[in-house]
Amino acid sequence: MFNLSSIVQKAQQLIDPALTAPTERKPSKSALFRLQFRLPETQNPLQEITAELTLSAQRTTEGTHLIERDRDRARGNRYVGKLHLSEHYMCFSTQASSYLSTASTANSTSFTGQTHGSGPAGNGFTLPLCAIRRVERLHSQNTAFSLAITTSNGFSDHSKQGTTDAPQRLVMQLAGSRQQCDRFCDGLKKGLRAGMRDVENLRKVVGLSYSEYHLADEAAKDGKKELIPTREAPDTGLGSIFRYPGDSRKLRDKAKMRLWKEYMRENGRNATLIRQPTFHKLIRVGLPNRLRGEIWELSSGSFYLRLQNPDLYVQTLSKYSGQESLAIDEIEKDLNRSLPEYPGFQSEEGIGRLRRVLTAYSWTNEDVGYCQAMNIVVAALLIYTSEVQAFYLLSVLCDRLLPGYYSQTMYGTLLDQRVFESLVEKTMPILWDHVQKSDVQLSIVSLPWFLSLYINSMPLVFAFRVLDVFFLEGPKVLFQIGLAILRINGEELLDASDDGAFISVLKDYFSRLEDSAHPKSENPKLRAVTRFQELMVVAFKEFAGITQDTISKQRSAHKEVVLENIENFAKRTSIRNLGPESKKLSLADLGFLYDRFYGVLYDRQQRSQTIQDESERKAKAGKSKAQQLVTGIPAADDVEVGRVALGASTTQMDYDAFREFLVGVARWAVADTQSPSHDLEKQSYFTNSTRSRSISMSPWGAGPDPADDEFIRRLFRKWDVDEYKSLSLQNVVVGFAKVKGARDIMSTIAYFFDLYDDDNDGKVDRDGILKMSEALLFLGRRGFVTSALASPSQTPIQNGASPRLDKNPQRTTSKDEEFLSAVSSFIRRCFEYADADNAHAIQMAKNAAAEESATASSLADFSIGGDEEDDDLVDLTSDSIPLTPTTPRQTSTSPIMSSPSQLMNLPPMPSETKPNTHAANAALDPANPLFITLPTFRMLVLADETLEHFFDTDFVNSFHLADQPVDSTASSSSNLTTFANLGKGFQRPNLGAPALSLPASGGVVPPGKGLRGMLDNIVTDGMRVATEVRRRMEEAQRELDSASTPGGAGSSTHKDDEDDEEDDHRTIDDVNADRRSVREGDRDLLEGLEAAELDGSDAGSVGKVENLMDAGLTSPVRSSRASTSSERTGNGIVEFER
Amino acid sequence: MADAGASPAPKPSSSVKLVLLGEAAVGKSSLVMRFVNNDFQENKEPTIGAAFLTQKCNLPTRTIKFEIWDTAGQERFASLAPMYYRNAQAALVVYDITKSTSLTKAQHWVAELQRQASPGIVIALVGNKLDLASPSSSSADDADGGDGGDEEADEGDARKVPTKTAKAYAEEEGLLFFETSAKTGERVAEVFTAIANAIPETQLKGPRGAAGGQRQEESRVNLGAAKDASAKEGCAC
Repeated sequence: MFNLSSIVQKAQQLIDPALTAPTERKPSKSALFRLQFRLPETQNPLQEITAELTLSAQRTTEGTHLIERDRDRARGNRYVGKLHLSEHYMCFSTQASSYLSTASTANSTSFTGQTHGSGPAGNGFTLPLCAIRRVERLHSQNTAFSLAITTSNGFSDHSKQGTTDAPQRLVMQLAGSRQQCDRFCDGLKKGLRAGMRDVENLRKVVGLSYSEYHLADEAAKDGKKELIPTREAPDTGLGSIFRYPGDSRKLRDKAKMRLWKEYMRENGRNATLIRQPTFHKLIRVGLPNRLRGEIWELSSGSFYLRLQNPDLYVQTLSKYSGQESLAIDEIEKDLNRSLPEYPGFQSEEGIGRLRRVLTAYSWTNEDVGYCQAMNIVVAALLIYTSEVQAFYLLSVLCDRLLPGYYSQTMYGTLLDQRVFESLVEKTMPILWDHVQKSDVQLSIVSLPWFLSLYINSMPLVFAFRVLDVFFLEGPKVLFQIGLAILRINGEELLDASDDGAFISVLKDYFSRLEDSAHPKSENPKLRAVTRFQELMVVAFKEFAGITQDTISKQRSAHKEVVLENIENFAKRTSIRNLGPESKKLSLADLGFLYDRFYGVLYDRQQRSQTIQDESERKAKAGKSKAQQLVTGIPAADDVEVGRVALGASTTQMDYDAFREFLVGVARWAVADTQSPSHDLEKQSYFTNSTRSRSISMSPWGAGPDPADDEFIRRLFRKWDVDEYKSLSLQNVVVGFAKVKGARDIMSTIAYFFDLYDDDNDGKVDRDGILKMSEALLFLGRRGFVTSALASPSQTPIQNGASPRLDKNPQRTTSKDEEFLSAVSSFIRRCFEYADADNAHAIQMAKNAAAEESATASSLADFSIGGDEEDDDLVDLTSDSIPLTPTTPRQTSTSPIMSSPSQLMNLPPMPSETKPNTHAANAALDPANPLFITLPTFRMLVLADETLEHFFDTDFVNSFHLADQPVDSTASSSSNLTTFANLGKGFQRPNLGAPALSLPASGGVVPPGKGLRGMLDNIVTDGMRVATEVRRRMEEAQRELDSASTPGGAGSSTHKDDEDDEEDDHRTIDDVNADRRSVREGDRDLLEGLEAAELDGSDAGSVGKVENLMDAGLTSPVRSSRASTSSERTGNGIVEFER
Repeated sequence: MADAGASPAPKPSSSVKLVLLGEAAVGKSSLVMRFVNNDFQENKEPTIGAAFLTQKCNLPTRTIKFEIWDTAGQERFASLAPMYYRNAQAALVVYDITKSTSLTKAQHWVAELQRQASPGIVIALVGNKLDLASPSSSSADDADGGDGGDEEADEGDARKVPTKTAKAYAEEEGLLFFETSAKTGERVAEVFTAIANAIPETQLKGPRGAAGGQRQEESRVNLGAAKDASAKEGCAC
């Protein structure tokens, strides 16, 4: 059974074989590197070397250049870590406890090393290469290889360099072999040269940062006013206009600002900031209002996104200006309800900013668009940041920090709720038991915490403190805070026994965060500790063990269940919403169609992704794997694209996808020729070898190649009611509902007719008739599973899913023969009964009813007059197919052989008064446009038991839905019903006598190719049969012209009986007599042709198989592709014969 | 919570979990706001996940404490809904009578609840924003709680969903049916009273956390009885 979980497995194996082997956890450096330093996707670690960073402890404005190296080294902080070089960045980090013993700040370790590669932990820097002004090689003592790096601190005052702070200078001592150091330096040189291009961007971005302004302002105060151009303070959010939340005195904003200023003067600012332990501490105590936005940008890495593309925000807004979208409608609804208590959002200014940021983001990420809660988060950001800053912060939030939170299905939110619950279970088992027992759904309280980052749960001042740490240390902070909240309120929560009580305990707690945590303590210092401070301590000390790694592992562990739940919900919902038409199908069928529909879309997206990335596949796979290991969620943009639970990006199926879709639904939709790579894929499907699977690059993946037939095209067009050139699930379901839901032969016939009634005028013309026949052959070429004609020997379906052919080849073959003959006689009769396009149309309409009754009566007559039973009729019908090579020819004299004469004596129209030959000629003359109407078509179908059965059950049943899905892996060519594998009754064509056989002009078989060519063609493309039929029709017509003599008329067959009343003087007995004498009387050219072509080989069926295989394998004209297919055909037949 | 115990009424009290579902901006939160605080706000913060409120409803024989889960209406929040309707004894499926798509969405929710929520859940279909329809098209004066109205919508008012259509659907599915206006408060309380009456006695639990054994044996109410009862009894809120 084809379902989503199997897709998931397949996908995982395809994407990430390592997932099944968790021991192999070696995420690629690129991803870790980017995550650690919060760099954009474009960056890769090119060089890496162990190095020691030396920072001067105290630099003075003057004399930096004079500082001697030795003195520097003696006094400065030293850190040993890894120095990385990417395309545009040089990064350094000590990562956790890698300090040298000389590290000055003793307690710094507690602030580092907890982010496990998910944020700029540890000490170090992330330096854009464009911010490096100079690199000097220091020829130091002994073997050390030292670089002195001068950054472009104070870049905006570039022209007046030297007037502000002295340039920042760091010394890196590289620890590595000479060769390694040289290589690193070469890379650095290259990078620096390239970095020149970005200097302008840097200037633009840095010019807007408050730190730059603030420090310059400070310099001005120091007495250099005349050198500093007065400029406006950069935008630091709505807070600068509408006041920042909280009491700035209580928050000690000024003191914090002073500390930061001091820190930045020593350690650089914005682009050149160096992270020392103090940096982490300063963030933990809360950021000062005006620097908050900038530090958020730096620690989240959105600064680097902005640096990469500083104009994206403005460009996006102007590009989409005036356009509308669903997201914009939704945004508009919520603008007035985003932090409405903050004065800034009661003003047009604030609302305008909010609107622009949300709108711009919805355009840059249309898959996410807009999700409620984003309005609250962005509103909060905008208090401290400019619009541009908020825009990039939002990008980083949605794409990296909160993966999947705001997506269409919100899978990230649900997943993290699951993770949170399991962490509660692990860390607070008693509380967890209580929650379970009292049936409280934890996520009911915690979901809004995560979704809106505590912003609408806690008072704003405190929520921002959480955000400060969150941006630096990543999503684990949300978990730590959440766990701490529960831990602190544990006692009270244990008393709460329902959701309401639970919520109210926490609401109460949040409202008293400002209060003292220990109000009754004797110790005044302890009394001064607020509940919020307590929360932070509990979160980061007691739950220090919750690392990014923990979260990632938990996410991986719960991902499947969560995604499946979402998928089930989505499936339920989607199936329910399919409209009234869908009620015609069973729920199981709808479920099956849903799975198949999205399965195909998903597979296709995966494949196109894989194929697209093939060249860099290895690198790519490594990257996505790493990303998944780090975040626990596959990078939505490149791993599981199209998976429903992740918010499928495509819900429309194009024609190719439709073909692939049908392969799993109908056997006839499988192509007769398979691409050569298919063998390999099939093999891998069965062996489930991930290795060979990942090799497969066929555009159709592991399934068989779908056929591309006129009929499928027509079906697609018909179902595409909106004419989008693609189908939605709704279209597909409605389409199936019309086919499968009818369950009534009349409507099925009408449906089929409509497919070919191009202009909806109720008529199908000559071309249409031929196409219909082609379609019938196409549909019937693999036989049908359930047939009324099936004998008891028909084997039941094997393997529960894969319909197999009858074990008794004879029986099956004759069934197939019957179908082929039925189709050919259908064609013939179509032309018999077709109306000439104009005048006849009216007559036809008039006589439609009479005609049908005539048919009925003639049938009755037949069985009465001649001592024929219905079976005989069928036999006659099926044998009377001189027009197609399908005819099981019998060379011996037999009454059946009267059939060829039928052609010669096509009966006139029922209402015709003209001589029948004349009428027949008119009907067959290509110059005479003709058509059949639905009543005619219906009559023709009903007149033939095989066709009647086809439309009664086979056609509808050929679409396999939930009841018996097609095993799409079943061999595609094993059971083609074509001339090639007709069993008994099929007589080998005479290779030696091609003279009269299908001329080359038919375009079907090159003369001289004889059997081999014919088989090749027929086997590889059953459709050509119809072409042949058509050609023979014309030939026959020619015959007819020459034979339009009384003698010809005399050889009418029984089939003309229905017209006897009007224009045939013969009786039924005559007909029978005719039939018997036909062998003698109708040795016309046509039959000669048939005989010459089909006769003359008496090899048994086994011999035939060999022959077929030979034909396929040795055919010199076929490409290797063709020979593969022929080989399969051969194989298929062997199986068939068995 | 403690409230239940503090209730002055000596009558037995039981809590009922009620969930509100429906398309975005049909007025779910406003209905709750009207019911709980008898208040109406034009600009309410959107519901993130779900909001939780409680309100008591006094019936002659007992007190029902509604634990109301007001869910977010934005389409993508739909996948969170199972979390909220889990174990709900009652559901208010709200649509906007001026927006026909909202009834379709409501029907989807009804189907979802019928299949996925606890068996026996009492579902009320509520057409909100009755104030936007012209009076003649509503049945405001009709006190019968189960009867939403008998007139087709007039041409010219904002009503898009005829009472008849929705009512026929509700009857077919065995739902309570009301048309309300959270803005004017019209028939809001009746909805909750009717639901309170329709909850089968067997489904009622005692107030959680308080002494649990106070189940009442009388007043086994079925849907039919609820209709009559709701006409006479209002919520004491």
